[in-house]
Formats: sequence, structure tokens, C-alpha cells
Amino acid sequence: MIVKEFRQLRRDRRTLAMLIFMPILMLVVFGYAASFDVKEIPVRVLGPAAERVSAVLPDPFAVEDVDPAAGREEAVTALRDGEVPVVFLTTESGLTVLVDGSQLFIATGTKAAVSAIAERAPQGLAVDVEILFNPDLETSAIMVPGLAAMILLFVGTIITSLGVVRERQAGTLEQLAVMPLRPADVFLGKIAPYFVVAALDMVVVIVAGIWLFGVPFRGSVLALALGAVLFLFVTLGLGVLISSVSENQGQAIQLALMMLLPQVMLSGLIFPLSSMPAGVRWIGYLLPLTYFVEIARGVMIRGASILTLWPSYVFLAIFGAVVFGLATLRFRRSLAPAGRRRHEAEPELEAVAS
Amino acid sequence: MSWGVRGMTVRFGDHTALEGVSLEVPAGRVTAVVGGDGAGKTTLLRCLVGALAPDDGEVRRPDARRIGYLSSTSGTYPDLTVEENLAFSATAYGISEAETRERAAAFLDRTGLTEARDRPAGNLSGGMRQKLGVIRAMLHRPELLVLDEPTTGIDPVSRADLWWLIARAASEGAAVVLATAYLDEAERASWVLALDDGRALAEGTPDRIAAAVPGTIRTSTARPSGDAARRSWRRGARWRTWSPDGAGDAASQGDPVRPDLHDAVTVAALARELERSDVGGEAA
Amino acid sequence: MTPLAEAARVTRRFAHLVAVDDVDLHVAPREVVGLLGANGAGKTTLIRIMLGLLPPTDGSVRLFGRSPSRETRRRIGYVPQGLGLYDDLTPDENLAFARSVFGGEAGTLPATIRPYAGTLVGRLSLGVQRRVAFAQALAHRPDLLVLDEPTSGVDPLARARLWETIREAADAGAGALVTTHHMEEAEECDRLVVMADGRVVAEGTVAQIVGDTRVAVVHTDAWARAFEALEARGMSAALVGRTLRVPGVDPAEVARALGDVPAEVGEAGATLEERFLQLTLGERGGAAA
Repeated sequence: MIVKEFRQLRRDRRTLAMLIFMPILMLVVFGYAASFDVKEIPVRVLGPAAERVSAVLPDPFAVEDVDPAAGREEAVTALRDGEVPVVFLTTESGLTVLVDGSQLFIATGTKAAVSAIAERAPQGLAVDVEILFNPDLETSAIMVPGLAAMILLFVGTIITSLGVVRERQAGTLEQLAVMPLRPADVFLGKIAPYFVVAALDMVVVIVAGIWLFGVPFRGSVLALALGAVLFLFVTLGLGVLISSVSENQGQAIQLALMMLLPQVMLSGLIFPLSSMPAGVRWIGYLLPLTYFVEIARGVMIRGASILTLWPSYVFLAIFGAVVFGLATLRFRRSLAPAGRRRHEAEPELEAVAS
Repeated sequence: MSWGVRGMTVRFGDHTALEGVSLEVPAGRVTAVVGGDGAGKTTLLRCLVGALAPDDGEVRRPDARRIGYLSSTSGTYPDLTVEENLAFSATAYGISEAETRERAAAFLDRTGLTEARDRPAGNLSGGMRQKLGVIRAMLHRPELLVLDEPTTGIDPVSRADLWWLIARAASEGAAVVLATAYLDEAERASWVLALDDGRALAEGTPDRIAAAVPGTIRTSTARPSGDAARRSWRRGARWRTWSPDGAGDAASQGDPVRPDLHDAVTVAALARELERSDVGGEAA
Repeated sequence: MTPLAEAARVTRRFAHLVAVDDVDLHVAPREVVGLLGANGAGKTTLIRIMLGLLPPTDGSVRLFGRSPSRETRRRIGYVPQGLGLYDDLTPDENLAFARSVFGGEAGTLPATIRPYAGTLVGRLSLGVQRRVAFAQALAHRPDLLVLDEPTSGVDPLARARLWETIREAADAGAGALVTTHHMEEAEECDRLVVMADGRVVAEGTVAQIVGDTRVAVVHTDAWARAFEALEARGMSAALVGRTLRVPGVDPAEVARALGDVPAEVGEAGATLEERFLQLTLGERGGAAA
């Protein structure tokens, strides 16, 4: 039995891939990426005493811009637009540290570092920390948008791929090819239900988050919807692509899992990107999930707009176009005879010379 | 109007699935394509309905709306009920609700599927599922009905029902072509094309194919020895030996029999096998 | 001479169903017995009882004169409908596995399929797969072969070759029990047992089972009209070539039903299939055809 099982395993490339790939992924994640400590926090220093303060700011703060002429308004805008997570706003009499509450670990790290600074500050200097957008630093605030993203990812990828593979497994795909249905009809007909289900699921989760957990929704619904649609194109496309290289549901799930787990681990969903070393962080920037999480959190918690988040939208749009385009092509090919040939006389009314 | 293929050639990489095969499928008749696994039956039928583009040759078929097709892998959605399966087909082919209902009901009734109307197709026995598949394929009164091995592996009672459906389709004027591995079924068709390894082995009406066997066939109870052994095969309790030139060799004994379709196809396959293995061998 | 396998008055009941009802069956050495039956006739249940996989509710089963046990399993070669081969192993590897389970010497592949010994079974054609499955079942020189639809889907020449293998085993002293749906295969057996609704409804050679049953045969060019006319009177006609065969109805009645459709009505001996249908449907209490 043992010998036989090993022989079969040797030939099952997908399972082998998983056996090798999984430990490596876990190693990378838990060795490098999984960290809640933030090593470096980019900050801006604004206000009259900006130059003086920026000169003495200790680690982990890294000053990236100094602007004595800017005030509170500019600080809030910068935070909302996700330009920096922390702004030191100086006044004649004191210092207010404005923190982006949607970046949980940076916020807690900042609080700790600032209280250390406050202790050493000269008497009379007021040092104040103000956490914007998520003042109580609730985890639910950042988890719910993340959940919404995960739903779109799971339904789009796994569930869709299963649905399409089921057709191939049942042998009915060929029947569809022969019916008077256009390939586009079949394709859209197959993914539309999953689009709808995923969107509905997401809405339910967000609404529940708002009502039950008090998660804020400061931005525009349109901004979130646009991001969701673009992300769905990516995930549905991935789902169809996975099904096009899988012969049965088991294979589809294996492949889908291999695509999902790295995204969940390295997209900033659980472990913040800023705490990953640069060598690992770049992986996160290649993953579509990273960008939708950015959009979801930005729109819901900070009230950011489409304009300020435009790089994320553009990335998703391009990725989506490519993946969805490929998926359409492959699907079409599995339905119609590969435009291989000439010599196909299909005269319906032509008299037949026997 | 006659549908069919001419000079069909299909290659998958360096494997030739079909080579120069032609077949006419006249309306109102049943045509059978017979052969074992790998003979090219499915490839031929797929080319005929347009699920596969050939490398060479010509296809004459009506447009998709007037074709009915049952592939060998399935015809039905296991998660949909019998009714839902038929409804999907009806919508896809654009036939009216009313017409479908009556026609479907009549067929379901005749084939004993009425009680299973609301059962998911995946819960039906093999025979019932195939019957459903054929009903689905002929619901829209296609001009060309193509069935790929509809009766393989199903029980004789379901097979009888299935042949009723086939006869019904032909009587409605459809050109029916079916693939089968069974010669006793091919014998029921009005025209037979026997395939072997992608090439036509024999064709014609069953009687004509049987009559066209060259030489003689003799049966004996003992296995022939020597050279004749290469030209013998077992059938039932006796051996049959084929003498290509009719004259008895020293080794062939036994009583001559009139060949039937089964013999004709076996002989043709044997002849091809001998040809392939003969190295400039004896003239047959 | 002790039969290799013997079922005496075997009955098997499930909750609401009597799957096998008072069945007697035996397989002697050197004979090939065919078990013929529709779906739900009880063939599979009976086979499982005879293999010792399922106990009978009533009656007894004897394999090699004893009750079924792990020892008796070693003397049986079983080829199920799915062939029982691993698609992702080669024939050699499959045989090696079987050898380690059953013991005995290495099974050898017949010379004609030895070239395929190193290819994955999943990539081989059905005919070759079946020959590998046979080689595996025969490797430990079983005394009893149990084969489920052994040649379904295979062309006539390959079928003849497979049956030669079965016959060789029988000539060497083994007995074989073959289940089948197809008349062509049934005709290869020495003796047939026909089951319907859990009971044995006929037994004997093909000729004995068919007896002198006859069917009405309609010769006509206007077969479509004839078909409709017969349908209208509730007579089911079977299309065979260009004739229609109407079992279970008197030729005179058929002629009357045809009315003015130009046709000749004659009679012919029934085929095994027609007789089988008559036995099966008759058992169900429905009208024959």
C-alpha cells in the first residue's frame, strides 16, 4: 500500500507543488512578514516649530517632509488621502500628533513612542496625540473592510472556478458548444451569478459591520463600488482561468488555494505591509488583494476619494483587463473549435452532388 | 437534403484520429458508426456537429438550431431535475413552452421517466439518464440527430426504449446517426460505417457488408493450428477461421458458414492486422 | 464434483426491497456462466453476496465448498466494471501491487501488450486497459473468475481475443461467472441465468431460453407510416434496418392495425434480446413491449 501510494503521489504534480510550496510560503510569512512591530514610521512635520521639532524626532519616526506653512487642514487631508500615517502638527505652545487610526499598529506604535517623547519634553510644552478616523483603535474597523475584500476574493476565485469546472466534469461543456448559444452568452451566463452573489455578500458584511460593530463609512459608496467591480473582474477572471487548467473540482481547489493563501498573508490584510522588510514587501505590491484592501479601508475608514486612491484603481483595472481578457480567450477556445481550419463548407441550401 | 462528411481527416499532434473518412447521413434513416474504443467514432461525430474542426475534408450540416447532439460523456446536468434539464434545452433552442411540454410529456411517459420528473438527473440510473439525454437532443425536432454511444453500458430495457426514441426521430424525418460498439445494434441501422483506427473498415447496408466478405469462413470445435491460427477467432463455443482465397488450406477444417455483420467486421479487422504485421508476406 | 460457487435459495432483503429472491445458482469448473439481467434485477447484489461482500438474509452461499472468507478471496479473480486499475500507475506497477496483496508469482502481461507495460494506465485505450485488468485478475491463478461486463465498449476482434483469455482459463480448470447487459456477450457463455426483479426467470443455453418464441415482422417501404399506425394502436414496434418487429402481438392483429399502409406481415424467431425483454417486462406485470 505504501509503495503504491508513494508512486501515485510522485505523479500528482499539483499535490507535490502544494507540499513544497506551502512550507516555503509559511516560512517566508512567519519568518519575515508576520510582524506587528513597525520599524519605521514615515511622518510629516507641519506648523511654526516644524524645523526645530523635525531635527530632534527620534526613531521610529522618519521625517519625509517639513512644511512650516501648513496647518491642521493640510494635516487632515494628508492623513485622509493616505499620504502619511502620522503628522506632527506644531504650534507655538505645543505639539499635536495626528495619527491615522486605520493603521492600527502604526497608531499604537506612535502612541507609545510619543508618550516617551512627552516624558522628556520641556515643561509647559503640551504634547497631545489625536487619533483620527478610528479614535478607539477598534480592530473591527480595519477587519471589516478586509473581510469584504476576502469575500470577493473567495467567491470570485474558488467558487467560480468550481462552478465552471463542474461543467467540464459533467461533460456538458461540449454540449454547450454545439447548442445555438454564443460563447459570450455562455461565459457571462456562467459568471454572472457569482458576480451577484459576491457583491451581495460584501454588502451584507459591510452593513453588518456598520450596524453591529459601528464601523464607519465615511467615503462615497460609488468609490467603494467601483473598486469592488474592478476587483471582481480580477477574481472572476482568475476563477475562470483556474478552471480552464483544471480537470476536476479537486484540482481547481488546490490551485485556487495556492493563489489565495499568499494573497491573504502578504497583502496587508492581516500583517501590515509596513512591518514587512522591503525584501518581502514587494510581493505584496504585486497582489491585487493589496490594492482592494487599500481602497476598502481608505474609503470606509478615512473617507478617501477615488482621485486620491487612483493608483490602486488603475492597478486593479489593468490587472483585471489582462486576467479577464485571458480568461475570455481561454474559455472561448474551450467552446469553439480552435479556428484551426479551412475547408469547411456549410452550405445549407447548396444542392448536394452525391 | 443529405448531411454528412467527405474525406474527413483529423490529427492530434502526431496521432491520426481519422483519415479520409466519408459518410452520408440521409434524412429519415438511421446510420450507424461502429468500432471499438479509439476507432475514431467520437472524433467523426464531433466534426459532424461542429464541436471539432477537421484538418481536412468537408462537412455538411444544418445550422446549430437544427442539430441535436448527445455526447458520449453526458447529456444532462446532474444538479438539475429532469424537467429543468428539458426546460434549459427548450430555451436554448428557442422552442415554445407549450409545444415542449406536450412533446416532452409524451416522450417521458413512453420511456418510463414520468415519475422521475422532479428528480435531479444525477440520481437517475445510467439508462434513465441516457434516455433523458436523447429526449433532450430531439426535443426541438432537429434535422440532424447525432448520438455518441447512447447505449453503451445501459440495461437492455432502457436500450429498447432508447431505440424507440431513435425510431421516432427517424420517423419524424430526422437524419439519425449513432455511434456504437455493438454490432447487433449496428445491424438495426439502414447503413453502417465500420471504423478501425481512424479508417473506414467497411461500409454499406448490413446485408451488403456481410455478403461482401471475401473468401470463406469455416467453423470448427478445435482451434486450428499453424498458419490458420492467425486467421481464427473464437465465437461462442466454436472457432471460426477465415480463408481469404476461399480454397481450403490443409489446416482449415470445419463447415463453412454464411458470414454475418459480426464476421465481416472481424475479418476486415483481421485482414488489416495481418497486413500490418506481414513483412512482404504471403499474398492473401 | 463440488461447484466452485454455489448459491442455494439465496434471498436478500433491504429495508423495503427484496433485491434477491430465492435464487439458486452454481458455477462448476471449466464452465462459463452468464448472468443476464436489467438494472435493478439483482445481479449486482447477487454477485456481492457470492463474493462474500454481503451476507444473504436467507439461504446459503458456498465458495469452494466453504463459507466465504479471506481465504476464499485469494482464490477468486474479480474484474469489476471499472476495471479496478489505478489510472496513475503503469500496468507493471498495478500488477506489482496486486501481487503483494494476493501473493503468488509475478503476473505477466500477455506478449501483445507488453510494449505498454511502462505507460500510465490512464493513457491506454480501453481494449488494452481491459487486457491489463484481466492479466491482474489471472495473475494469482484463481479458481473462480468473476467478471462484470468484461467486454463492454470493445470492438469485435478485441472482444474475441478477450474471450479467448477467459476460455483458456476455463479450459485450465477455472470457472467463470460473467455478468452482462449485452446479448453478443451472453452468447459467448456456456449457460445463461436470466434474472428479473430479483428472481431467476430463465436458465439454459441461448437456444433453450429463446425456445420457439416468435415475433411479427413487418416489411414495408413506408416504415414511418407503419410505425405511426402501430403506435396509434398501442403496439410498440422496434425498428430493425428497414423492417419493424412487433413482439407479443399476433401477426394477424398487426396486419389489422396497419390498415391501408402497404406492408407484408410475416413471422420470425425471436432474438435473445426480444425474449429477454419479454421475460423482464412480463415479470413486472406490464404488457410485453
